[in-house]
Amino acid sequence: MGVISPIGIGTSAFWESLTAGKSGVGRIEAFDPTGLPITFAGQVRGYDAKKFVPTSQRKNLKIMARDIQLAVGTAKLALEDAGLLESRPTADRFGVEFGASMSSSDLDELAPAARDSVDEASHLDYQKWGTSSMSSMPPLWMLKYLPNMPACHVSILYNLEGPNNSITQAEAASNLAIGEAYRIIARGAADLMLAGGCDSKIHPLLMIRFGFGMLTSKRNDAPEQACRPFDADRDGVVPGEGSGVLILEEYEHAKKRGAKIYAELVGFGAGCDAFDPTRRETDGTGLRIAMQAALRDARMNADEIGYYNAHGVSTPDGDRAEARALREAIGDHALEIPVSAHKSNTGNTVGGCGAIEFVAGVLALQHGVVPHTINYERADPDCPLSVVAGSPRELKKPSFLSASCTRLGQAAALVARTI
Amino acid sequence: MRRRVVVTGIGMVTPLGNSVAETWEGMRNGRSGVARITRFDASTLPTKIAAEVKHLDLHSIVPNADRYEFSGYNTKFAVAAAKMALDDSGLDVNRVDRARLGVYLGAGEGQHDFERFVQTLAPCYHDGRVAVPEFSSRGLKHLHPQKEWEQDPNMPAGHVAALVGAQGPNYNCLTACAASSQAIGEALELIRRGDADVMVSGGAHTMIHPFGVVGFNLLTALSTRNDEPERASRPFDQERDGFILGEGGGMVILEELQHAKSRGAKIYGELIGYGSTADAYRMTDPHPEGRGAIRAIRDAFTDAEIGPTDIQYVNAHGTSTGGGDVAETVSMKVAFGDHARNVPISSIKSMTGHLIAAAGAVELITCLLTIRDGVIPPTINYEFPDPQCDLDYVPNTAREAKVDVALSNSFGFGGQNVCLVARRFTG
Repeated sequence: MGVISPIGIGTSAFWESLTAGKSGVGRIEAFDPTGLPITFAGQVRGYDAKKFVPTSQRKNLKIMARDIQLAVGTAKLALEDAGLLESRPTADRFGVEFGASMSSSDLDELAPAARDSVDEASHLDYQKWGTSSMSSMPPLWMLKYLPNMPACHVSILYNLEGPNNSITQAEAASNLAIGEAYRIIARGAADLMLAGGCDSKIHPLLMIRFGFGMLTSKRNDAPEQACRPFDADRDGVVPGEGSGVLILEEYEHAKKRGAKIYAELVGFGAGCDAFDPTRRETDGTGLRIAMQAALRDARMNADEIGYYNAHGVSTPDGDRAEARALREAIGDHALEIPVSAHKSNTGNTVGGCGAIEFVAGVLALQHGVVPHTINYERADPDCPLSVVAGSPRELKKPSFLSASCTRLGQAAALVARTI
Repeated sequence: MRRRVVVTGIGMVTPLGNSVAETWEGMRNGRSGVARITRFDASTLPTKIAAEVKHLDLHSIVPNADRYEFSGYNTKFAVAAAKMALDDSGLDVNRVDRARLGVYLGAGEGQHDFERFVQTLAPCYHDGRVAVPEFSSRGLKHLHPQKEWEQDPNMPAGHVAALVGAQGPNYNCLTACAASSQAIGEALELIRRGDADVMVSGGAHTMIHPFGVVGFNLLTALSTRNDEPERASRPFDQERDGFILGEGGGMVILEELQHAKSRGAKIYGELIGYGSTADAYRMTDPHPEGRGAIRAIRDAFTDAEIGPTDIQYVNAHGTSTGGGDVAETVSMKVAFGDHARNVPISSIKSMTGHLIAAAGAVELITCLLTIRDGVIPPTINYEFPDPQCDLDYVPNTAREAKVDVALSNSFGFGGQNVCLVARRFTG
């Protein structure tokens, strides 16, 4: 496993921060956020991508947007952790599946082209766009931002020639990617899959879009307390950035090479609200369908699940819908099952969130401890859940259910347990 | 025994027409959909031509078309093609388990709201840097909230789910030019393994916008034969000079065989093989020996439990680029052996241009129509044989031939290779 998150690079730092209740949310440092409706985010600090790619490939960092740079670093950490960095079994049985978003172009890179194509009254002249603007753009500009590039770069860096896919379902993307990678191995199309997700929403245009949705937190004066899933005083999403990667391996294959085994992935399910996407937020239908399908797939009852690793997006409506979905999916167990939302620490890393939270879940299994949801202070009667708050809690049963969901109700759930 | 999957509905919006019938008629007649770009003034760009969708009237196709007012073309093409496919299938969604009715698209990334974005950004550039606070306040004032939201690449799949009432698994994959083939292959697997009974699958995409054309021109990937638009897309021809951007959508209704039979559905064909691999070679070039492509073809054959000689038609990726067409020819020769010289291979991109993420879906539908009607669409503009591309590309005119099994190739920028095999359904 590998993780690069706002609360740490690498699984040890990440786990330490999770159990210490650290927040990775703060005022945006990558650019001056003055004037934006939200001036803070969950930021990865101190990440030097150069240290994570072989010297011969460093020039390629120039054609990698931030999310791709996070992905290649996380992939390296995961391969290292799995003992597969130096040598790997046959390339064609090793695939890659990522959840990713369309990155937004670096504004400094596009601005000269924009300037060259408008006149003083800000009127756009397409004829100038075709001449002076085009010549001021970098030749490989487009390659830097395509959503399939994280999976492509990782496949090229490590010569992974098996099935290769990139799923762009926002917050559900990396859970879907992990679930599909699991299915690819189950149907025998690969022995090993590098699966996960990455994203960075720390970009002026993307923050403007979040602002347009009116869904972002207003706590500009207290960023660390802004992401508070299920808390009665939650007031919106906190965008973030990060990446999580898992190495999934067919069981006999892993045993044969004497690999360290963290957990077994046993359930996967997906669903969708299928309501008009112009509506602002999900009502939880897709989430319920996904959770039920994942539990059925795992052949497990809700009372066998150690904790619910929640989506916990921290919007008033979103968390309420999730609480209702859980209740509908597992009945009264929803009142008792320990729930924790790790977005409280990292913010919403969108394309990366499912994978990062899955890594947290697997670490919880390894340590027998559920990290707590920070900023959970006042229970919300509309979210009648047993939120793990204040400090980490013992994990009583060695399994977890994890779910993620988009604003449109595109959802995916996973179940894992200790072997 | 594993569950079998058949295609029970098809829908297309392409540069050759806004329906399956019109598009197919265009292909049979070897018509080109390429012309001067009309969507914006491209007169000073190196490439001024493309294959555009013409006169799409969403109101005549989908109910409440107003709801797509602020959607991008990807969503518009997706919902139009999906509605056609659903109607064609005769499926009554009120009589299916909606949690087992899913959507898997390979729809493109959303395009910027170009004029607003550029006009917002331009004045904020001072002394070699963007003044971000200025951009932020201008952006909040000038950008259109819904148009911004609609650009997310999960939107087309969300809209299609809403249109058909699909509460099952909902995906969008973006693997460049292989995306909608990959979507269909993955949707096939979802039904096979029992995670769904019916999937709406396919793709929708346009890159015919100022950023798309410039982006590909910067990579020198597009044809610049501006004086002869209809002759510009010429896969496998010696004089080819790059691909032509196309746009549109293609959707299929994939259905578990018993599910289709029990409701007496019309069956276009059975989807029997899927292969997916990565070149792991370079960002911009296919592997010159077609390493990943060969494995994708072979994996699809293995999955379909057939051999190369069972294939009677290959719908090529055939983009009309120098290296790509050679690499595909080389892959065909290795994967097919001697049969490579006997099997007809054609590229409809010669007529439709390259629909990028949507290409594979339209091409699979073409294979199904070939199986149905016994007509292989041609590779038009094939005039000067290239010694490195020396197979039977069905030059210039459609050919009558009974085809029971067809292969569709899709190879994506960045090295993703996807192959699908469709077979006539005989029970």
